[in-house]
Amino acid sequence: MQVSSLPRLRRRLFWAVPVLLLALPLLTNEYTQFVANGMLIAALVTLGFSLVIGNLGQLAFANTAFFGLGAYASAILSATLGLPWIVTIPLSGLVGALGGFVASSAALRGIRAYYLAIITLAFGELMRWVYVHARPVTGGTNGLALPKETLFGFSLSDDKVKFYVFLLVAVLLIKATSNLLRSRLGRAIMAVRENEVATASLGIPTARIILMTFAWSGFVTGCAGALFARHVGHVFPESFGMIQLISSFAMVLVGGLGSILGAVLGAVLLTALPEYLRAFPGLEELFFGLIVGAVLLVLPMGLASLLRRASPLFSERYYRE
Amino acid sequence: MKRLKTVLACAVLAASAVTAQAQSQDWETEGLSDDAITIGVMGPFSGNAASYSKALIGMMAYYDKINDEGGIYGRKLVAVQEDTACDSAKGIAAAKKLLSQDKVFMLQGNSCSGVALAMRPIIEDSGVPWIVAHAVSDSISDPLAKNIFHGVPTGSANGRAMAAFVLSKPDTKKVAIIEHSNDWAHSYSDPARAYLEEHGVTPTEELTMERGETDATAQVLRLRQDKPDFIIAALYEAETAIFLRDLKKYGLGDIPVMGTAGTDLENTMKRTGDFDTVKNYYVIHSYIDNLDGPKMKPWADMIHKYYPDEQLSTFSFVSIGSAEALVAALKAVGPDLTRSKLIDALNQVHDFDTGILSDPITWTPEDHQGVKGSAVAGFVDGKPTVLKAWGQPY
Repeated sequence: MQVSSLPRLRRRLFWAVPVLLLALPLLTNEYTQFVANGMLIAALVTLGFSLVIGNLGQLAFANTAFFGLGAYASAILSATLGLPWIVTIPLSGLVGALGGFVASSAALRGIRAYYLAIITLAFGELMRWVYVHARPVTGGTNGLALPKETLFGFSLSDDKVKFYVFLLVAVLLIKATSNLLRSRLGRAIMAVRENEVATASLGIPTARIILMTFAWSGFVTGCAGALFARHVGHVFPESFGMIQLISSFAMVLVGGLGSILGAVLGAVLLTALPEYLRAFPGLEELFFGLIVGAVLLVLPMGLASLLRRASPLFSERYYRE
Repeated sequence: MKRLKTVLACAVLAASAVTAQAQSQDWETEGLSDDAITIGVMGPFSGNAASYSKALIGMMAYYDKINDEGGIYGRKLVAVQEDTACDSAKGIAAAKKLLSQDKVFMLQGNSCSGVALAMRPIIEDSGVPWIVAHAVSDSISDPLAKNIFHGVPTGSANGRAMAAFVLSKPDTKKVAIIEHSNDWAHSYSDPARAYLEEHGVTPTEELTMERGETDATAQVLRLRQDKPDFIIAALYEAETAIFLRDLKKYGLGDIPVMGTAGTDLENTMKRTGDFDTVKNYYVIHSYIDNLDGPKMKPWADMIHKYYPDEQLSTFSFVSIGSAEALVAALKAVGPDLTRSKLIDALNQVHDFDTGILSDPITWTPEDHQGVKGSAVAGFVDGKPTVLKAWGQPY
């Protein structure tokens, strides 16, 4: 394979996958379609998380808060203010971005590593407290139900209709993130990860880079939150707790830290796995832990590294092993 | 040509009518065979709330008992278990799997009200009969859905039962409420407040104790000023023990306290380590006897026959009543079973004495919240006793 033809092939492959996925609803039942929709949402959540901890190199765990903010924003805007759900997707992204902006304030004050981890964890728990206690707005522990809606005459209660919307949003956000990482800003993000002081000495405004990365991560995750709200039809505070965080973290690590392809692979594998393990009631958690542990032991750089080894087609220019 | 078009249109209409009828007939008997009725059983078999899966044990043991007795018109009750992990997304996936892939005849089970609430629109749209056997949120079965039946006392039934017990004590004029600030607590305290208001009683003191608080001095000192005749406490077990301890410490141990079904009388005594602290504590208790009482023994034996390792707790028995009502409805339908006939039969379950729940089950086409009350457990002469009202043993 000629090296010069790789980018073109990569681009074709990128678009070929969603085009092939258009046919997926022909092969699924309601259950498998629901699981497939969950994979698209998980891919976006993982992508947003990977951007902060993998690409920017910050030990920050606020992404579950961005996810919850997006989901609640979508639910409140459609259930309380009556906005069409489709309109709430970018608005939820903006609310997630705002969350990213707030969460990045700790990093901007020079807080790093474990301290940043604990502050962002606290931010996530604070948001969960707000969901529970801001009852008139969030519905408290009873949560908020999204109204039934149609989109161009198609019911949004139908998982197959939802799939096409989710796919479109996922493809757009993955492509935008990929472009961002290959841009000047993307290179600056990677430079901050490698050596923040050296990056600053080159005249790159590292604080602004950190803020923008958190905000974009919040936007992607907030949009995923809006999709999640429609996916389950009812948002509850428990959906945005520690379990969700650990699950997203596992997806990032299993897929490959800082890799877009890895984010998608990790999300697909770890969304599908628990569903396959339904056949072993009571042992699911044990098998899940063993499989995740085995993947990380054999492939410490995640599933994406396996594909990279198999073909240069899957290598990511901005990714460093 | 025109005539041909008319004939063709009639033929297409007739064919689609026949197909629709066949599909409808298929739907009516989906999950049924000559020797089995498949029942989707959803519960939290993994995750943080896995201990709630004990709530399905009684129901499953009852299915086994019925199967050992020959089933219902030769059909065994075959449970298909799916894990919800007490998570809404996983719960919806479980419901969709049972409905669209396993194609079960009906559904029974569910702990975790939030998950059941998230599932409700999907199950309501499917039309498949669903008996909720543990989760208590009123919103699961209200507003009415023709295929969703609640087989345990709901939050409002329990809240009203708490207030009714409080007012059954003669000369109760002043009632105070202490609660957590979460919706779980409100699900008890709001209906209790409404019941008190209906009977002309306004709470004289309304206090909050947050989860995780390890001291209730401030609240107790407020109560010492108020001197209530009865206190309603919508608190989890750990905070209840702390509250009762401080109540006794400040000399208010003689004021009776009414707690929720979320606490257990004997466990609370274990937590306080002192009988004097809990001697005036009463809790919602949905059964006709103490768990180790003679009326509960046959049920305990049944559970241990099929699940010998089961450590019995309040949860172990909670789903048996609704399983009994289901079996009664299946028997009433007869051998020619369909989903619509089962729903009709469930709507005919009236004043059904389960022999385990303190109150009967009544479902009507207008009201699917089948259990309208609960008994209360408290210490009488130093022994845990099930009570109908103040001073009236069950």
